[in-house]
Amino acid sequence: MQTTRIDAATAQPEKNAGIVVRRRWQHSLLTFLMVFGPGLIVMEADNDAGAVSTYVQAGGQYGLHLLWLLLLLLPITYFVQEMVVRLGIATGKGHAAMIYERFGKWWGRFSLIDLLVVNFLTLITEFAAIALALGAMGVAPLIAVPVAAAGLILMVLSGSYLRWERTVIVLCLLDLAWFFLAARLHPQWSAVAFNTAVPHLPPGRVTGDLVFLIIAIVGTTIAPWQLFFQQSCVAEKRLRFADLKWARLDTLIGATFTVLVAGAMMIVGDAGYRHGIAFADPAQMALALTPVAGRAVRNGILLLMVNAAVLGTTAISLASAWAYGEVRGWPHSLHKKFWEAPGFYAVYVGCVGLAAAIVLVPHMPLQLVILSVQVFAGLVLPSAIILLQLLLNDRALLGSQWVNRPWNNWLNWTIIAVLFALSLLLAAQVMLPQLFS
Amino acid sequence: MATMQNAYPAESFRVIHPLEDAPEAKRQSAGLGPIEMTLPVRVSLIVLRAYLLAMGLMLIEHVLDLAGVLHRIH
Repeated sequence: MQTTRIDAATAQPEKNAGIVVRRRWQHSLLTFLMVFGPGLIVMEADNDAGAVSTYVQAGGQYGLHLLWLLLLLLPITYFVQEMVVRLGIATGKGHAAMIYERFGKWWGRFSLIDLLVVNFLTLITEFAAIALALGAMGVAPLIAVPVAAAGLILMVLSGSYLRWERTVIVLCLLDLAWFFLAARLHPQWSAVAFNTAVPHLPPGRVTGDLVFLIIAIVGTTIAPWQLFFQQSCVAEKRLRFADLKWARLDTLIGATFTVLVAGAMMIVGDAGYRHGIAFADPAQMALALTPVAGRAVRNGILLLMVNAAVLGTTAISLASAWAYGEVRGWPHSLHKKFWEAPGFYAVYVGCVGLAAAIVLVPHMPLQLVILSVQVFAGLVLPSAIILLQLLLNDRALLGSQWVNRPWNNWLNWTIIAVLFALSLLLAAQVMLPQLFS
Repeated sequence: MATMQNAYPAESFRVIHPLEDAPEAKRQSAGLGPIEMTLPVRVSLIVLRAYLLAMGLMLIEHVLDLAGVLHRIH
């Protein structure tokens, strides 16, 4: 296969483009800072409203006993996303486009439709969380949800990828407040260390609920939209081959940060466990914790829940808009103004607007939506990840330099087998609950 | 006063943001056509289809159960 330079005759960096530095370490640091972003965003946006609910629930039901699972998930999530980074840098294209090109229309359409459906259903849960959290703070859903939707739409309409990226990085860093909240709730740090380092199951017999929660934690930590999002993001940012090591570092930092934040969420949930507070969602827990932990902790949990939902919404909507734009061959870039990429922005605005509107419908069956998310995620994650693994072994596409090494393949096939089994188990538990009763 | 001199020529590095840099040669997929159906690809896609079929059947069973159809049959 020929490797050709895009616009090779004319494309040159501007003569004075960039920054001149004197030291190699300055060069490395600046390059990293310029590449930094997609890895952190894709990982931290995965700590969305559903994740907050899952981790806090895990802490609330089983205390600190499942912390070790997060540590186990760190390398898994990193190695899966690393493949996406490599594919994105090597081809300069998004994941949906690559599936269409290499696996044909059937797999392309299946992946795209499944992705769009699961993403949209997830968006409904994000807005439901915003309504729930701000409702607990006294803001009516009729105000909270439209304002959040308007803010989310404005975030992308500036015609600048970098502006969006910097805004989202700030939102990601706001999640540092989870550490503050966890510390304010005075966990037993020795128990935190023990439960993180030593894998074990909570005391008592293994119940269907526990199995479900473990699968939900795995499913929450590795979501299908992440594959599509990061590859498109890498292509959007036009990362170069030389940027690969920095993009990997970005992804590793993102994975580590996300797992630490998830751990802090579990520690916050553990406060409910220790104080014997039963709760159905994090907002309820925040309210019930007020007499024990104070108003600052209550408001902190509620606001961080909103932040998680906002992060999730912008990333998931963009994953849909990028994927759909790639497949349709539309202009699909945050670098473009609204009128230059109307289809791309229409998908984003449509997803956000419609999900927000549905949440405002009275008596919306949220439980059914959550179950549907789990079922569709069970369909799309194994497919997307298998196709990804096959693409990373596609020598005709990537050449010998960018394909998986044998150790990559062993590791990734093992991860895929585990995810397959867990997805099947999750779907079986959702659809055939009598099997587990 | 002695002046220390660097024995090497002063180095400098230009750091260019990816978005300001010249577009880079990427691996081209245009004209490649579908992926070659090697044994691992074929087996993977068959397993994936079987998995999707199993999930689809489970979903249908669940929907029929919720609709009360299975109950009536039994």
